[in-house]
Amino acid sequence: MVSWSGRRRAFTILLFVFPTLIGVLVFNVYPIILNTYVSITNRNKFHPYPDCAAGLSGVLDPVCWPVFRDKVPTGLGEPYTIETPFYQNYADLIGDLFSGPTLLALLSLALVVVPFAAVGAVDRRFQKMGDRPVSTTVLWIGAAGVAVLFVLLFNVRAAWDTLMAGGDFIVVVMRTVLFVAIRVPLSFLLGLTLALILNSQHLPGRTFFRVLLFIPWAASSLAILVALIWQFFFREQGTINQVLSLFGIDGLSWLQNPTTAFAAIVIADLWFSYPFFMIAILGALQSIPTEAYEAAEVDGATYWQQLTRITLPLIRPAILPATVLTSITAFQMFGTAWAMTAGGPVRGAGQPGATEFVMVYAYKTIFQTQNYGRATAFAVILFVFLFGATLYSLRLTRLTKGALE
Amino acid sequence: MSRRPTAIALVFQYGILIIAGVFAFYPVWFAILASGRLGDRLYTLNVVGMFIPTEWTFENYRAMLVDKDLLTWLRNSLYVASLTTVASVIITTSAAFALSRFRFYGREFFLIFLLAIQTFPAILSLVAIAQLLTAIGLYGKHEGLILAYTTGTLVFSTWNMKGYFDTIPIDLEEAAMIDGCGPVQSFILIALPLARPALAVTALLGFLAGWGDFVFANVLVPAPDSMKLVVPGLFSLAGSQNVPWGYFAAGAMIIIIPTIIVFLSLQRFLVAGLTVGGVKG
Repeated sequence: MVSWSGRRRAFTILLFVFPTLIGVLVFNVYPIILNTYVSITNRNKFHPYPDCAAGLSGVLDPVCWPVFRDKVPTGLGEPYTIETPFYQNYADLIGDLFSGPTLLALLSLALVVVPFAAVGAVDRRFQKMGDRPVSTTVLWIGAAGVAVLFVLLFNVRAAWDTLMAGGDFIVVVMRTVLFVAIRVPLSFLLGLTLALILNSQHLPGRTFFRVLLFIPWAASSLAILVALIWQFFFREQGTINQVLSLFGIDGLSWLQNPTTAFAAIVIADLWFSYPFFMIAILGALQSIPTEAYEAAEVDGATYWQQLTRITLPLIRPAILPATVLTSITAFQMFGTAWAMTAGGPVRGAGQPGATEFVMVYAYKTIFQTQNYGRATAFAVILFVFLFGATLYSLRLTRLTKGALE
Repeated sequence: MSRRPTAIALVFQYGILIIAGVFAFYPVWFAILASGRLGDRLYTLNVVGMFIPTEWTFENYRAMLVDKDLLTWLRNSLYVASLTTVASVIITTSAAFALSRFRFYGREFFLIFLLAIQTFPAILSLVAIAQLLTAIGLYGKHEGLILAYTTGTLVFSTWNMKGYFDTIPIDLEEAAMIDGCGPVQSFILIALPLARPALAVTALLGFLAGWGDFVFANVLVPAPDSMKLVVPGLFSLAGSQNVPWGYFAAGAMIIIIPTIIVFLSLQRFLVAGLTVGGVKG
């Protein structure tokens, strides 16, 4: 422990933390406070300016501060005021979330997840008992069967349609959840497959392939430009349709159809995201002692048994944080969707487009419709949601464990 | 796994690798091809031209570098990104030093607090940041962008650096302090050189924050063309109807290829710097 004590020590600490503290207060905390305030007002393009005499506006809005007072624009439009009731923006967003049919629809969607959650519990139970009546694979297949049964039984398709007819918030969030639920397992599977292959010692040229397969991660820092290239593949005259026309098939206009546009974004985003999994899993694989496999080999274990009994359990601690963090980033994906479809195809006036994920919706509400009140209400709800998810993931992955000692 | 694979397994493995390799490399390859094709020809009508170069010209590159604003955009981006890097490294190193080497009241709270506020979506704080920058007269200026980017990197890099510093034993610094160094001096002389991978990662992330971003640059410095950064500049170029796609491809290659090369050459460094620090993402 570093010596020094008393005032000098406190002064040093303050001096070193000070820039971070100021930066975070001004550029993170203040925007959150201002956002929360704006979310209960009717600020939009018709009410763009604060009424500095009115209570909180005068304190929170920077253009009201005495130093900048003379910069208050006095143009078109009326000053914004607090909504009556003050939660009007939230009510508009959430719509009829708390009505009977919507809750029922949510419930039937949740039922589909239940079998998969049950597998985990049953599997742990078996592990404790020491003998397995059925193998894990069978359990998973069974769960998938039950889930399909539920889908048919409870008319999940109709439930989904009910949700998609609800307020903007449900539509956009459910769609983003669907995106995360499809994209993250896909990148995990692709990353795992490639990492397993690249990890085998008897494979000439694997360094070459590792570098080649790493390229998308490098390109992902310029995601929005590369996503434009991806958009080109899926255009009506794009690469895919040209190749299809060789075989005499008339391609679709992929980005105009809601389902294929969604799929196109999943594929493009998969391209950006699988290398991270690949690298993380590869690192974890290299830390598994070869003795474990040698012992399994002596006992006559098959490749599949080695994979499910040795490899996967041993890399679990390393890939769990990666999975959780990737899910949170996937939830906040913006560039890929913005460059490829800009939220379209349009489903009707005043409705979010078919690929409007949360961040695209937020961006459009702020910068195109300029409905700040609603956008900030959306932000506050998302913040609560993401905050909870982050805290939960910290507990789940013990990411901060050790770092705080 | 240690077992020597059978011939079938080997074929299977190479098959997957080759398909994945095509998937990984084709978008970049496609853009390279498009950048060498004459500008006004958006699509090659023969499919072969989409996979192997049937024609090649540097006209697009010349046009981008000479006729268009690309060089100005590049200069703007380099200016913003390098100042962000410097600011980010200095600020996060000093905070991480204090958080790693001292135990003080409120330290744990501060660390968790950093993580918590970071979950507020950046796009949504843009309105407030834009207003703030307007108020202090930095809206539409590169300096305002640098401020926004630097604060955007603070949380992740502080956590990452702190995690890395924690892995460096403090004994060496204590030895130096017995010899008469102060805590700060001994930290700079002894711990910092050992933390080079983490510093490299912080620098790279700081640089990329300014180099690759679209949303902030697009909103905070919307105009004029001569002030734009390279990513929003190219994006708007691709969106306008009267600019050939080949120009965009050439411009994109000029910035994508160096970025990929830097990433690949720093690969080992990056993975080590990110994983030892404890925070991955």
